[in-house]
Amino acid sequence: MRQIYRSLWAAAASAGILLAQAQLDPALLGKAPLEAWPTYHGDYSGRHFSTLDQVNQANVKQLGLAWLYRANTNARGAQVGGSVPEPLPIHLGPGALAGGLLKSTPLLVNGVLYFSAPDHAWAVDARSGSEIWHFFWRTSGGDHIGNRGLGIYGRWLYLETPDGYIVSLDAETGKERWHKQIADVRAEYFATSPPIVIRNHVIVGLSGDALDVPGWLESRDPETGEIQWKWYTTPRAGQSGIETWPSAEAAEHGGGMPWQPVTYDPDLNLIYVTTGNPNPVYRGDLRKGSNLYTASIVALNPDTGKMAWYFQSSPHDTHDWDAAQVPVLFDMDVNGQPRKLLAQASRNGFFFVLDRTNGKNLVTTTFVESPNWYKGIDERGQPIPNPEKDSQPGGTLISPNNGGAANWTPPTYDPDTQLFYLNTAQGYEIHYQFETGRPSFGSSGHTSQAVGGLEASLRALDPKTGKLRWVHKYAGTEWNPPRPEHLGGLLSTAGKLLFAGAPGGYFVAYNPETGRQLWHTRFDHDVSNTPITYRLDGVQYLLAAAGETLYAFRVQQ
Amino acid sequence: MRWDKPVLRIGVALVLARAGLGQQPGGRSGEASPDAAAVERGSQIYRPNCGFCHGLDARGAAGPDLARSLIVLEDVDGKKLDAFLKTGRPDAGMPAFGGLASQQSADLAAFLHARIEESRARAPMDVNAIVVGNAAEGAAFFNGAGKCRGCHNPEADFKGIGSKYDPFALQARIINPRGGVRPARPSTVRVTLPSGETIAGRLVAVDDFSVALVDGAGVRRSFSRDNEVPKVEIVDPYQAHLDNFLKITDKQMHDLTAYLVTLK
Repeated sequence: MRQIYRSLWAAAASAGILLAQAQLDPALLGKAPLEAWPTYHGDYSGRHFSTLDQVNQANVKQLGLAWLYRANTNARGAQVGGSVPEPLPIHLGPGALAGGLLKSTPLLVNGVLYFSAPDHAWAVDARSGSEIWHFFWRTSGGDHIGNRGLGIYGRWLYLETPDGYIVSLDAETGKERWHKQIADVRAEYFATSPPIVIRNHVIVGLSGDALDVPGWLESRDPETGEIQWKWYTTPRAGQSGIETWPSAEAAEHGGGMPWQPVTYDPDLNLIYVTTGNPNPVYRGDLRKGSNLYTASIVALNPDTGKMAWYFQSSPHDTHDWDAAQVPVLFDMDVNGQPRKLLAQASRNGFFFVLDRTNGKNLVTTTFVESPNWYKGIDERGQPIPNPEKDSQPGGTLISPNNGGAANWTPPTYDPDTQLFYLNTAQGYEIHYQFETGRPSFGSSGHTSQAVGGLEASLRALDPKTGKLRWVHKYAGTEWNPPRPEHLGGLLSTAGKLLFAGAPGGYFVAYNPETGRQLWHTRFDHDVSNTPITYRLDGVQYLLAAAGETLYAFRVQQ
Repeated sequence: MRWDKPVLRIGVALVLARAGLGQQPGGRSGEASPDAAAVERGSQIYRPNCGFCHGLDARGAAGPDLARSLIVLEDVDGKKLDAFLKTGRPDAGMPAFGGLASQQSADLAAFLHARIEESRARAPMDVNAIVVGNAAEGAAFFNGAGKCRGCHNPEADFKGIGSKYDPFALQARIINPRGGVRPARPSTVRVTLPSGETIAGRLVAVDDFSVALVDGAGVRRSFSRDNEVPKVEIVDPYQAHLDNFLKITDKQMHDLTAYLVTLK
């Protein structure tokens, strides 16, 4: 009997240790990610740079597979939650399958990886690739275009679902703690964004531009899930910015979904929010004005949701170019002065560098050659759209295409080279607005046809000038450049390496100074998430997902 | 007014969803379809009570556009609408409609949801309506500055092209005649190995790390690529069109379309 008690006690003790293991030490948030990757961007900066250098130019050719995990989507054996008793038929959004199931950037906390897909979350042992648990969400519908990752606070994970819920899971077991509705799926809201945890705020974004519905960002209590504040992306009657809309009703139905995670500067205590395209999507004539704060970069106080400044990447957008791309934060000397900067390579083809203390513009330039929709730059450094390039009954040839010159997958900023890297595309479309009499709704009365494009390439930009340092054109992408987000996000490291997906399912390491290829491997699908790196038991690992598989690499001795 | 068509479309979508065959792109998920009789009953309630302010098609007049109303969008079986109509929004000029029975609110909701589906529907585009250009100027561009005549002949390869393709397809082909992954006219490629040996042929596939071709003897050959080695030179017969992406204007595209549709 004593023996039994002793083993029970030992089991309880080990369970206690496990509980402790599933806890995220909050002090790790915002630090350089070494042995943890505790938030979507690794740290809060959005740089996707790692100070690890064990894998470097000298040994990168010895990178080999450590393990792989194929995503298990079988609801049997899963922890199950949901808003309905039985899952309803799902709607796969455009590009949902082309982009791959695993778009999620994994979190790594105490040797466990946590990642997600629409209606699914997994915990996987980072040493072996073994599944620890699988969570399945019974959906009530919604656009299943993708899920980009989880947030973690202590032992609690946060997952957004296609039917507009935020779900809190126990990181130890995968069991649901609670779920809260963000927005009603019947109004065709959906959610893909990784929640970002800042102290006791869970910052939650949402999506949906089909029905001209209002957009907002919200902060929730990590324990209870209750709303702390909501920031609407368009002004209401009497608020600043309402003058950029024809009416309060147009502004309220003006969209601007903040569907990508924020970045954060703890010293300034500002979060940087990027907002989506305005609604109706293509009928600019129904919403004359610049349509603030859609397609913008906005700085908010994370404790109150109050706006500090804004910069509009696409004033009066009429081409579905959200400005949701990552607002990357870094410090740099400019003309001998230390500056706190924010850089964005926007979907519309423009690269912006701002002073992140006040939103003042330092650099505005195009990072590809094809954008043909603007006629100048205004005094704030914002592009001025050319109304002749709005969709016309006879067709308007537009670049970038709907996929954008860049899209949501993170670029990287390397503080060693002081360069900004991203995957780009120069695609074209012909846009038609064939019905102009009736009031529009979402994208009604509009169509477009893809006509290919010039090329897709990996590009290195100097943020001081906006000039290109080097361009690596992907062979064979003339005529059919892939959407940039279908090549995944980027990662740079202190090992003087730049990692990126390339067309054809390649995962490639480059010399970040020159763009020369140093190592590659090939998957059965293009890289679909953003690669991460971390050190575990003294060994540096590199992780990338392609399609439904997560691959881990290490230097093979 | 198109009273019948949207209802029919919703019916089809519902059958597909029930059969597990998928869903119309952008279709509203997880929602029962209003039946035609309910929509008709709803329209009888709507027109005398609501149409004056919200427009006969519910897309807004003095009052807001109801197809974009969150109360309507989020409504289930008229419940949310019924609760709203009991109080209205007097401060905004919207009176209460307390006299409606809940079944009438449900019918009204069915009518409004049919308006949502009608409003968002992408009616088929009239492909001939895209022909807005000037055919004579298109012909002048074809024979002059556009340099089209260097490769194309209205009496030879372009004979009857205006009958072969509709204007929509024709316009796309002006920009990109190459089509999908297997173009009618393939690129050619020359590979120069470090030894100096060259192998040339029809390009089969190329990416950053490999190139494959079929040589003059009909043999498929492939080579690994490591940065600049081996040297790979590709000649694309559609290069002039590729160069055009950065040059062609919408007017030139419209005029060329107008000209080419005349080549019956």
